[in-house]
Amino acid sequence: MTSLARRPRLQLLASVAAFAVLALCAGASAQDKITLHFANWASAEGTTKDAINKAITDFEASHPNITIESESISFSEIAHQLVLRARSGNPPDVAQISGNDTILLASTGALEPLDSYVDASLKANIKPGALSGLSVNGKLIAFPWNQSPAGLWYNKKIMAAAGLDPNKPPTTIDELTADLEAIKKSQPDVIPLGIDTTNRAFALTSNWPWMQTFGAKPIGEGATGANSPEMKAYLTWMRKLAQEGLMDPGRKIGEFRPLAAQDKVAFDWDQVLLQGVIQGANHMSADDFYKTWGVTSMPVGPEGKAHSFEGGHQLIMFAKGAHKDAAWAFIKYLATDPAVISNYTLGVSSSLPSVVSTGDATLDAKLNTPIFDAFAKKVIPTISEQPYGPAFAQASTAVMAGVQEAVTGQTPIDDIAASIQQQLPH
Amino acid sequence: MVAANATTITATARRNVERYPLLDWMVTPTLVVLALVVGYPIVYTLVLSVQDYNLLNVTPATFVGAQNYRNLVLDPIFWVSLENTAIYTFGSVIVSALLGLILALLTENLTSGPSRFARTLLLMPWAVPFVVVAFLFRYMYLQNGGIINAILLATGILHAPVPWLNSAALAMPAVSVANIWAMTPFFFLLLSAALTAIPNEVIEAARIDRARGWSMIVFIKLPFLAAALLISSLLMVISNFNDFAKIWAMTQGGPGYSTSTLVVYVYRLAFEQYNFGYASAIGVVWLLLLLCFALAYLRALRIR
Repeated sequence: MTSLARRPRLQLLASVAAFAVLALCAGASAQDKITLHFANWASAEGTTKDAINKAITDFEASHPNITIESESISFSEIAHQLVLRARSGNPPDVAQISGNDTILLASTGALEPLDSYVDASLKANIKPGALSGLSVNGKLIAFPWNQSPAGLWYNKKIMAAAGLDPNKPPTTIDELTADLEAIKKSQPDVIPLGIDTTNRAFALTSNWPWMQTFGAKPIGEGATGANSPEMKAYLTWMRKLAQEGLMDPGRKIGEFRPLAAQDKVAFDWDQVLLQGVIQGANHMSADDFYKTWGVTSMPVGPEGKAHSFEGGHQLIMFAKGAHKDAAWAFIKYLATDPAVISNYTLGVSSSLPSVVSTGDATLDAKLNTPIFDAFAKKVIPTISEQPYGPAFAQASTAVMAGVQEAVTGQTPIDDIAASIQQQLPH
Repeated sequence: MVAANATTITATARRNVERYPLLDWMVTPTLVVLALVVGYPIVYTLVLSVQDYNLLNVTPATFVGAQNYRNLVLDPIFWVSLENTAIYTFGSVIVSALLGLILALLTENLTSGPSRFARTLLLMPWAVPFVVVAFLFRYMYLQNGGIINAILLATGILHAPVPWLNSAALAMPAVSVANIWAMTPFFFLLLSAALTAIPNEVIEAARIDRARGWSMIVFIKLPFLAAALLISSLLMVISNFNDFAKIWAMTQGGPGYSTSTLVVYVYRLAFEQYNFGYASAIGVVWLLLLLCFALAYLRALRIR
């Protein structure tokens, strides 16, 4: 009876011991396995979703100890969510970010400086200017994933139909205005100039170069303020464009793209990705695209200089992350791996890689197109840094509300400029 | 007999409550949940409203007393937003209530099959999600390619497309029209139900007294509809005061500040500038205004 009772007890002990050993092994294996949380909008958008998911799968295959948990957040929501998560102590490890939002996040003190991760050879391979504007207090707080500056796209067919020389895009604001008038007269159904006049921080980023070419700089170092002759000249020009039907106020930059694909926009102030969007929409071949579209730098205004903005995406690492080396390996992979550059950066994002050489001669040759060439030679040299930060976010509402008043209302320009000035951060 | 039993049971239950006052403690879990879900955010908003608290500042929030409220008084955008909120809310509610009333009266006697289908169709806009309504109208209002301009141009009513949402003067009426379209069925539904509740004896007595058409509506039906009209209007005032989706999706408060309401302004302050202290101060004022409407609503319910 006693021996019979002891046997099950021994079996139970053996089972518990085996379970404990298995649990320890599993625990050890789980400890070795790293999970990185990657907040991004690439996986939230139809055009980029498959390519980014493939990039993640490939990274996981080449790094068996790292699992990437992709968190899809829309472009317009990601900054809010990241700020709230950073302040509540629950940020992801890596995130995709862009424009003013990058510097806003840096101001929360939640970002890991990347200087110690970027070695000399990688730094030497980064395009000139790609790192500019990404340092706060002398520390690199984001790594450039891609470059996507804005240029003045021109539709050669529309220009020709208006009696303009399609190979001579305007080089000054006066020439541009004259071309827009000619286009409006010959083709009333065409929007002569596509320019974002919504009220959001990106719209200020997009309009900033136009203000600059009039000599206006509402905030930042060396600011002219909003109640200045330069700002009034810019607002007056915008009002003239709107009143004469030379622009279509209230549209987002993205809302001009499908119209451009239908040859309904003559000049479009847009980023390098426009080519991909147009070809994706109308299935135009690359040769036909180059015959129809060209891109050049912004026409020069009274200030005498052309300007552009860098609308590329960056990758950031949060200081609170527990696996910083793994996070950096993932960031480096996304920004420099030839397959990711081919499939994602060039393929679906239609943007320029942030590195000079991808390490793949065939891929580097793909970058040799008339559009990429024009961006490299004419547009990128005109990129100007913008005074990003909390003040820029505050100013964006005030300035863009003023721009909207100028292009849609009758309030005197002097009053609008004074009103913007009153609302600007001191 | 059943009614008599029910009365007896209710009376017994009431007596039980009186006999066991400890049963009052049974509501404690509900009060705790309410205190957490409703009370905590309100108290925290009050606390934030007297602080200089910006999420982008690494430095901790500091107590600033009534400074945020002083800023609010001097802030022209706050007053513009408050004025827009009043115009949008009361304009939409008054017009929707009138339209709902007219439709309810016009369709009162439609009881056949096809007529019932028509009444159902009239209710359809209420079933459309507000964000869908906003995008629907946004695309209809487009200056280039919008169906409204296309029809007006094709029929010769207009000679040039109108920038409905991109004109500082037209944007608020245009947004209000979308809101009225979505809200009218609510009034139509409630007032139709109230119309059917008018006792037949009253209608027949009025007919005997030769009340017809206009006099029947003004002197007989409207007094019966007054309660439903008041309560539904107050509900809609509270609902429209908080309406964010339609305005944000159609104009984002623009052009300029021409359609910026309090809720849009608070959103911009809190989630674009991360200025939670000042946004909370506006939230407190907004809450007080809504409390006034809520009290009026409760009072109306009690009177009726």
